[in-house]
Amino acid sequence: MAMFHWLLNLFGRNRQASGPLKKPYPVEPEQEDRLLSKKLDDNKQVLGEIFDHCEDLVTREIRIGKQGSTRALAVFFDPLVNHEALEESVTEPLQTIQAPTSGITMEWLMEEAVPNARVLMYNRWVDVAGEITKGLVALFVDGQDRALLLTAKEDIDRPVMMPQTESVARGSLDAFNENGRLNLALVRKRLHTTRLAVESIDIGEIGKTRIYIVYLKGIVYEGLVEEIKARLSRIRIDGIMASGQIEEMIQDAPYSPISGIGTTERPDRVVSALLQGKAALIFDGTPFSLIIPSTLATDMQSPEDYYHRYWFSTFMRLIRWGAFLIALLAPAFYVAVTTFHQDLIPTDFLMSILASRNGVPFPGMVEAIIMVLAFEVLQEAGIRLPKPFGQTIGVVGAILIGQVAVSAGLVSPVVVVTISLTAIASYTISSLGLSTGIRALRIFFIIAAGIMGLFGVMVMFTMVTFQACALRSFGIPYLAPFAPLSLGDLKDTFVRVPIWAMKMRPRLQGYVEPVKQDDNKPKPPKPRE
Amino acid sequence: MLDNGRISSVQLLMLLFTIEVVTASLYVPPRYAQLAGPGSWIAGSIIPAFYGLLVIAVVLALARRFPSQAFTDYLPEILGKIPGKLLAAAYALMFVHFGSVILNEGSSLIRITIFTQTPGVVLDVVWVVLAVYGAYLGIEVIARENQLVLPFYLFSLVVILGLAAHYIDFNNLRPVFESGLLPMARAGFIASAWRGELFLLLMLYPYLNQKHEDVKTLLLLAGFTLVASAAILLVILGVFGDLVMAHLIFPYFILAQYISLFNFIERLETLVIIIWVGGVAIKLAVFIHSSAIAAAGALGLKSYRVTLLPIAVIVVILSRVLYDTFLKLFDFLIYTWPTYAAIVELVIPALVLLIAVIRSKGGGRLENRSDS
Repeated sequence: MAMFHWLLNLFGRNRQASGPLKKPYPVEPEQEDRLLSKKLDDNKQVLGEIFDHCEDLVTREIRIGKQGSTRALAVFFDPLVNHEALEESVTEPLQTIQAPTSGITMEWLMEEAVPNARVLMYNRWVDVAGEITKGLVALFVDGQDRALLLTAKEDIDRPVMMPQTESVARGSLDAFNENGRLNLALVRKRLHTTRLAVESIDIGEIGKTRIYIVYLKGIVYEGLVEEIKARLSRIRIDGIMASGQIEEMIQDAPYSPISGIGTTERPDRVVSALLQGKAALIFDGTPFSLIIPSTLATDMQSPEDYYHRYWFSTFMRLIRWGAFLIALLAPAFYVAVTTFHQDLIPTDFLMSILASRNGVPFPGMVEAIIMVLAFEVLQEAGIRLPKPFGQTIGVVGAILIGQVAVSAGLVSPVVVVTISLTAIASYTISSLGLSTGIRALRIFFIIAAGIMGLFGVMVMFTMVTFQACALRSFGIPYLAPFAPLSLGDLKDTFVRVPIWAMKMRPRLQGYVEPVKQDDNKPKPPKPRE
Repeated sequence: MLDNGRISSVQLLMLLFTIEVVTASLYVPPRYAQLAGPGSWIAGSIIPAFYGLLVIAVVLALARRFPSQAFTDYLPEILGKIPGKLLAAAYALMFVHFGSVILNEGSSLIRITIFTQTPGVVLDVVWVVLAVYGAYLGIEVIARENQLVLPFYLFSLVVILGLAAHYIDFNNLRPVFESGLLPMARAGFIASAWRGELFLLLMLYPYLNQKHEDVKTLLLLAGFTLVASAAILLVILGVFGDLVMAHLIFPYFILAQYISLFNFIERLETLVIIIWVGGVAIKLAVFIHSSAIAAAGALGLKSYRVTLLPIAVIVVILSRVLYDTFLKLFDFLIYTWPTYAAIVELVIPALVLLIAVIRSKGGGRLENRSDS
């Protein structure tokens, strides 16, 4: 794709971003270099400047101690703070405590007065304002040039729920949600080790979304974490909403339809990736974490494969790979065979195809494209439609496509079968990124088949595999372990060997600590008789 | 080096195997049968194997003297600046010509068997775009692509030969030396032209990242190609007999067509065509890549990629102008090609090696060179 850089240059797409991302707003906390003052009233005035027009900001004046001698100010954003917690942990203890005669110091407040588990203390407005926007309560005390920041957060997140897109029949059923802290907890819950490293970075000049880089020390492969941090820190953007935006900004090949970064909302998947020597990005604000890197082989794996019997898992793997090829090639194959290679079809079957195509006004390629697009429209509508209408689309779609289109002579039944099979097959792929990539490629395969038959399909396929062979993700070739071939790692691709037979980590990612387990092959005791 | 890709010895083995085997089995076996009769499978597999070993010896001796450079890059050092550059340029052109022959071999099969109405230039252009894309991405990607395609080729080979083995009549294989030794040698000489294509190692050697395994790899290669070509010829000969085989155009293709089991397993020639697309694309990509490297080296360019487009155009034009009909291609392949190939694959590298030894050029010692 880099071939077309000059073309993009022609259109001015590659211009370097120039100038700052945002204009300096007069009271933006980042431009703020002032320190807190000892006088409460001064602080109050600065607060007013910084949080100008923030009507949801509450400033509550209290007096510390029973005597009520020292004035203090609790400042917080009303929507982010739980009032009960605030009363319990801040206002009530402060109002009832016996103040020391020597005068109130911040250390005393921190150590004796406030019962919170996590307390921060800052003296720069940047930090204080930043923490307030994150939902902490700032406590300013008269005569002190520092502020305490206390946690009394309102619970505004969903509880941990079942995975929406990656459901399994056997295996853990919790999924990430929009709370980064909770997501991290779900991972920590599964890996009780000090080797689990968590580093965080805030992305977005305005939004400041927190991203956690998670990996296992001593297992993650060399250079990965540094590379992730380097790529993340290159990002300068106003704000991000979801992990997909980050994915597009850190993937290796910017124009590739497949990113080489895995998406998951299942903590067990993240944990197994970490154990293989990969790293993960866990987000605040989106349930979908990124697994870096991911390859075609891992995109075809489902977490469930490891929880079922290996015979069954291997069978399902083979089914899934077959379905992958069907999802990619079936419509193109249909077009190629009916348009160019009728001799490949047994005569009797050819007769029935011809009879059913009798009166269809379109050539095979157009017919297939119409059906694929109709299906895509249905699918898109199914996602966008408000829930109550969901059933309608199912019924209408089924009747429209299954029945009426055929009986009206618009398309032939065979193409309906082909496209339905394709559609169903594409749902067997557990990776969203891969299945959307296939959906996009499918149309190109149909066009290639319509122009040059099976030859065209194969040309297209070679083209796509060339591209996929060139794709790397954070140093790992996307098609590993097929190309470059590493025989030992084929144990977890088309087949899934028993867990006890997977003694080594994948060669390219897990080489830092290659051995995964001892010989755990079950050895039953000898029968006594 | 202009391409800083790295290929492992397994990848090299697979790549050279594809280059030697995929196209060899399709075109000239009828000529072996015409010359050597029932002994053509021996002529077409064992004689070239010896030739292949000879090429391996020469090429390896030469490549080891300059382990981190491509053939065309160290020619000036051995022969002197002007003659070296000239020979390098000649090799660049020769790779282009090889490319056009491969391309024409590719499109001729498609045109004769499935797309009889399609102009050859269309197929040529499609294929060349594919190969240039591969060459653009670099040797590493071509090697990986080959690792994807070759298992399918081997699978199709096993399926086709295995199912066709059912039809073998062993009387077709006797008497082995019916035609006498000289015709067998002539048939073997034709087959050698394909086996000798491993001289491409001269251009690929610098990318090899496990250079200490080179001898082992190439001996394995010689063994595998011997087995594969012997098996293909044996089955074709056993099924059709030398009289029929001498008059078939694409015996391997016809063999696949011939298979019919249970009225259900048939039309396996589709497999041949499907693999053919990938195999020819890879072989062509390697030759175009080598030609681009050679051209860029001879011209002193910084990137080999700029030469790809002109090379692609020349390959297509040569393919259309020189071999516009299938007969011209076939004529070239059986009369001109063996001698021509022997000169560029064996004689010239051997002479260059001789000069290098006499002038004692090149590091030579395996330990002293940088593998990085």
